[in-house]
Amino acid sequence: MSKGRGDGRRAVIVGVATSDYPRLPEMSEHAVHGQAADRALADAGLTMADVDGFASTGFFPMYATGVAEYLGLHPTYYDETNAGGASFEVLVEHAAYAIECGAAEVVLITYGSIQLSQMGRRLGTGGGGGAGFAPGPAIYDALWGNTLVGSYALAARRHMHQFGTTPEQLASVAVTMRQHAASNPQAQEREPITVQDVVGSRLVADPLHKLDCCVISDGGGACVVTTAERAADLRKAPIYLLGAAHSTTHHMNISAMPDLTVSPAAQCGPLAFARAGVRPADIDVAQLYDSFTITVVLTVEDLGFCKKGEGGAFVENGGLGLGGHLPTNTDGGGLSACHPGMRGMFLIVEAVRQLRGEGGATQVPEAKIAVAHGTGGMLSTGATLILGNEEP
Amino acid sequence: MSERWFPDEMPVPGVNAETNGWWEAASRHRLVVQRCTACGATRHPPGPICPQCRSTASEWLDLRGTGTVFTFTVVRQAFIPSLAEQLPYVVIAVELDGAEGARIVSNLIDIEPCDVSIGMHVEVVWEDMGPQLAVPRFRATTDAKGARG
Repeated sequence: MSKGRGDGRRAVIVGVATSDYPRLPEMSEHAVHGQAADRALADAGLTMADVDGFASTGFFPMYATGVAEYLGLHPTYYDETNAGGASFEVLVEHAAYAIECGAAEVVLITYGSIQLSQMGRRLGTGGGGGAGFAPGPAIYDALWGNTLVGSYALAARRHMHQFGTTPEQLASVAVTMRQHAASNPQAQEREPITVQDVVGSRLVADPLHKLDCCVISDGGGACVVTTAERAADLRKAPIYLLGAAHSTTHHMNISAMPDLTVSPAAQCGPLAFARAGVRPADIDVAQLYDSFTITVVLTVEDLGFCKKGEGGAFVENGGLGLGGHLPTNTDGGGLSACHPGMRGMFLIVEAVRQLRGEGGATQVPEAKIAVAHGTGGMLSTGATLILGNEEP
Repeated sequence: MSERWFPDEMPVPGVNAETNGWWEAASRHRLVVQRCTACGATRHPPGPICPQCRSTASEWLDLRGTGTVFTFTVVRQAFIPSLAEQLPYVVIAVELDGAEGARIVSNLIDIEPCDVSIGMHVEVVWEDMGPQLAVPRFRATTDAKGARG
């Protein structure tokens, strides 16, 4: 990613993998990390003995050190930055900086969750519950019974009001993701759906219906970041990190979000593109966090694929499909394939697979440049990676 | 005072030096917003430092308790089990009159979900949850067509 920095070390992704998903009732959370880690290292042609850096994150402090112990690692670089759904894009960006400045040689990044098996179907509507939930400022939303999906619904309603976005346009995001999921044998939901199915499904928090919301899954993934020099001896061609950036606009209160129609992608997206030296028009395939359909509409606008307010028109009629303007979430996304809570790792894995030509039935022909963008919290955090399969 | 709406299992706010004033005012049925005494910017939720000018000096600005619906949702699936009995209920973000853009999340009550719209004028209604805790909720003062009631 660096240009002219230090001794010219350049960070690349050399291994990616997903764990089994979407239902893992027999596995512990650590076992999911372990399976994904082994597969990503094998994909790279490396072993645990090669790893000197480790990153992961979860829902309690010192999470990465716990997973590192489980994996038998004693890393001299570690990171557990938590930005919710954007975490793994941030961890890759940090790993790249560490590698480029010489602080690490091989960084393994893993994600694992058994949210579906452990918690049932609670998290998608807010998680937690009971007296004492929502410490600190989060009480200023939660006290009135607002939920996680409720916060995204407040943003969706505002977008509809300001720009005329329709429920059918939002629904078309879910329809396209389901089309892609049909080609993914692991996907949690594969039955084709129509716009009418989405808008006819139960409302969870108006205007978001059940099928506007991501699935809740078990699963995980891993990736391996090293130098381009090291990659020369490895199994697969390196995927270059061309540019990256992340940002946050507020914490967990949707009431503190400066503009409910503008996500943090509006800050970090243009910054990542500028650092990569590419434009949105150069992107061949996109992996965009799809916690809810509105998340994708805001993201395509904020990353600059269309103007603010035109996201509804951009995504409808297959705009995000394989023949559309921006083939997106080619694995079926969080809306259909797998959403274990912090899905950002899946975006990275699928972007790398597309750039290697390993996309299978949903391969975008001759994909050279991809974007992976994670969104976390209540539209609170964003992180953008621009990846390419040619040396910049 | 309307009948108690919030179940006992609702989360209760933990107060600290920054937030105590807001809840203390609420307990006396006064809706306030924090205002920086250095630059005049308002902020919500309450916090220790002005995000605009970094001053730590602030005061509580008394509001009339009226405002406008900025956006809304109708919650139809609850995450606190005992709230399930109250479904569906309306969650709103309100732009408070006199608060210079500060918004709070609350509920709109005494209205059918299909009658809620962005831009409706609302006024505060207090619900006492205990001797030291009152929660502001809102009621529409315009009908669904936007005329002031």
